[in-house]
Amino acid sequence: MAKYDLVVVGTGPGGYVCAIRAAQLGLTVAAVEDDRPGGVCLNWGCIPTKALLRNAEVVHLFEKAETFGITVQGMKVDYAAAVQRSRGVADRMAKGVEFLFRKNKITLVPGTGTLKSKNVVEVRGKDGLTTLEAGRAVILATGSEPRSLPGVAIDEKTVISSNGAVRNEARPKSIVVIGAGAVGVEFADVYRSYGVEVTLLEALPRIVPIEDEEVSTQLTRSLSRRGITIKTGVKVSAVKPMGASVVIETDGGRFEAEQVLMAVGRGARTKGIGLETIGVTLERGFVKVSPTMETSVKGVYAIGDMAGAPLLAHKAMAEGVVAAEAVAGKNPRPIDYGNVPSCTYCRPQVASIGLTEAKAKEGGREVAVGKFPFTASGKAVAMAETEGFVKVVADKKTGEILGAHIIGAEATEMIHEFAVGRTLEATVDEIMHTIHAHPTLSEAALEATMAALGHAIHI
Amino acid sequence: MAVTKVVMPKLSEQMEAGKVIKWLKKEGDRVQSGDILAEVETDKADVEMEAFGSGVLRKILVTAGDKAPVGALIGVIAEEGDDINAVVAQAGGGAPSAAASSAGAKPAMADRPAAVPPQPKSEDHAERTPSPSKGPESPGIRRAQETVAQQPVVTEMAPRPQAPAAADGGRVKASPLARKIAAQSGVDLKLVHGSGPGGRIVRRDVEAAAAAPAAAAAPSAAAPSPALRPVTPTVTGPEYEDVALSTMRAAIAKRMPLSKAPVPHFYVTSEVAMDRAWELREELNGLEGQPKISVNDLVIRTCALTLLHHPGVNASFQGESIRVFHRVHMGIAVALEEGLITPVLRDAHAKTLAQIAVEARDLAERARQRKLRTQELSGATFSISNLGMFDVRDFSAIINPPEGAILAVGSVRKVPVVTDEGLGVGRRMAMTISCDHRVMDGAMGARFLQDVKRLLEEPLRLLV
Repeated sequence: MAKYDLVVVGTGPGGYVCAIRAAQLGLTVAAVEDDRPGGVCLNWGCIPTKALLRNAEVVHLFEKAETFGITVQGMKVDYAAAVQRSRGVADRMAKGVEFLFRKNKITLVPGTGTLKSKNVVEVRGKDGLTTLEAGRAVILATGSEPRSLPGVAIDEKTVISSNGAVRNEARPKSIVVIGAGAVGVEFADVYRSYGVEVTLLEALPRIVPIEDEEVSTQLTRSLSRRGITIKTGVKVSAVKPMGASVVIETDGGRFEAEQVLMAVGRGARTKGIGLETIGVTLERGFVKVSPTMETSVKGVYAIGDMAGAPLLAHKAMAEGVVAAEAVAGKNPRPIDYGNVPSCTYCRPQVASIGLTEAKAKEGGREVAVGKFPFTASGKAVAMAETEGFVKVVADKKTGEILGAHIIGAEATEMIHEFAVGRTLEATVDEIMHTIHAHPTLSEAALEATMAALGHAIHI
Repeated sequence: MAVTKVVMPKLSEQMEAGKVIKWLKKEGDRVQSGDILAEVETDKADVEMEAFGSGVLRKILVTAGDKAPVGALIGVIAEEGDDINAVVAQAGGGAPSAAASSAGAKPAMADRPAAVPPQPKSEDHAERTPSPSKGPESPGIRRAQETVAQQPVVTEMAPRPQAPAAADGGRVKASPLARKIAAQSGVDLKLVHGSGPGGRIVRRDVEAAAAAPAAAAAPSAAAPSPALRPVTPTVTGPEYEDVALSTMRAAIAKRMPLSKAPVPHFYVTSEVAMDRAWELREELNGLEGQPKISVNDLVIRTCALTLLHHPGVNASFQGESIRVFHRVHMGIAVALEEGLITPVLRDAHAKTLAQIAVEARDLAERARQRKLRTQELSGATFSISNLGMFDVRDFSAIINPPEGAILAVGSVRKVPVVTDEGLGVGRRMAMTISCDHRVMDGAMGARFLQDVKRLLEEPLRLLV
């Protein structure tokens, strides 16, 4: 039986970051992985989809080349090549994780890990069984997998999940995307950019429902303009594969397409890893954890998607660091879950942090809201990317930045100004007194903040 | 109906001024006698102040965050139609300053410690808020209030700077949001413990301080001791800074010379073999369901029992007489970040070790949170100051008048000892008693100490 200070089960963004941080702190670490290092994020999620979305953006730029006085003739787009490029990006990143493991002397153990006791993990690999003993702690980081609707089986051919969508080199002629959260909207964007007829269905009254309402409105307008059919407030009652097509029955009509993409959320992977054996407590399908990520069983930690919402890679990474430091006795600072940025990489991009205007008002706060459209930004006009706006929600009394909501080009890069500000407890005054370089898209953040104070300059 | 003056109550014997932390009633609120009007910070604790009359809180004269001398008018309760102008004008228009009034009270105390009000026989008077119009009062309190009645006192009513923390430049580390909330809620950032990175005061600290001002000053248990934090030596910047005295530090500064100068101290030191006491303690702490016993709890119990046999040490100088106490109320010095405080464990002689352990821990914890009630801060007949946790061999303490003695306790150290067989290792603890020579002599102190030592060295006696 091989013995390590720490055994990490799962090497997604939570697991691999946790393993590296623990190794940095001087612990010996074994990392168990049943797929490829990097988990869903690197291999099947965040990274490969960003590659596909970049392709979509390049297609879009070519399409509007005329705007810049550039004529393109005989343009052909090859979707299979886009998927292959995306796979290449994922491969490269997964190799990066393997390199980091070697660099930090982390032992990668391929196979499926199962807890036999609170400090023994049995790994079933291609070459049989390996048993790992954890001297200090076991970190569970087995992630999540796509969910479906009741009675709807995912075959990854006609009824696909993000797993199929990111792999399939053939694009359908038409697709119905069920669920307009980040995953649904991003694939809708990719498919539409490659000429697929896309219908986006959402059960809630608006797309990207966790975002600020004005962002949803703006995104609906932008996506509709690009020819995506959007139906909100519709409940799907049946998904019926009919050979070459699939029929989706809803209370808002019947839809037919070549494929349907189920993007209705993800569920924690908690089965088959021995949670029952050692009595780890679950809560609504997720593992219940303490602020230092410890489960109900002492010495067993859980991080990332399996430990609950938000199911985001960057949240998992932050939890990985907290868990590693806790195991190493470092007394880490707990995560502020109210300050996790949320990003959707469709075009225009959506990024937000903190409370929406509605949520802030629900909390009984008197809020000051400032909004600045990119149409008034010199840089955005120069780039010909004028869709969207920055919206700042502040506490009227204290100037606290309660939330920031950006929709527009590079929104996901711009949100961190507000993330840092909120971490440092900066108020609108500090943002206002920070000189922003001109011309940049980020000036819109400054202007929106000034608008909240009632004196934006450029609008 | 009657106009009720709300005055700054005298909440402890040495209290000369208090700070209004916050008003729980607004001007215009209807109040019943007994309602909590405000929270007041004294030199020792934060205390709730009751209304002594019913009516409408017509006027608040001292705003939250400001100080007022004892007896000064800080508010007026009256019925809607009552004319309160005269009362208010009297308070605001008087010429004598606060300094003049406190100067009037001070010499009496400095010259004749005997004038210190007698120890409370019962514990109720201290917790009640005296009002000028009713209630039994000790002579000391009455005198203070008469003074005030004749010489209305100008209270510090100047508005506070809008953003106290910002005005202090780099001295207070606080987030911008914390500063704004502090400015708006009247929280003094200097009194707030920062829980952010590097001790930075963040929003939650100020909100906690605003919600429970008393808790704000409590040092966080998790924070490393300041001495262990790395300090970067600097050769630039200001050479020094003048840090305003906290209420507690001001009280200590005023109080200690009153002891050391007029009270002739003498000191007796002894060393106790703590091996058996240590073993006993380990054994007791191994028992399930029993409170954890500290070395100090053993010392408290030992002194309490020994004092019963040495009443001359459990005594107080009263000018013309010596008051000998038949009960032991044990003062236990508790170090706080901004000073120290000595809560009183009453009737320590009649309590078991377990009771002492539980009560002493509770007192210390609440002392750190500044949640003690005033009656828990007065009436000690003897005190113990233990610096054992700081790896101190021995030290001597200053008597807290009107008590007659205080025991200073050092660390339990492993030292080489000479045994019958040669050299061995033993646990030793040094104790130094400071005695008021007006009350007792060296031999009395030494005999007391000898018995304390004997009892600690035969610790099973502590259990019976």
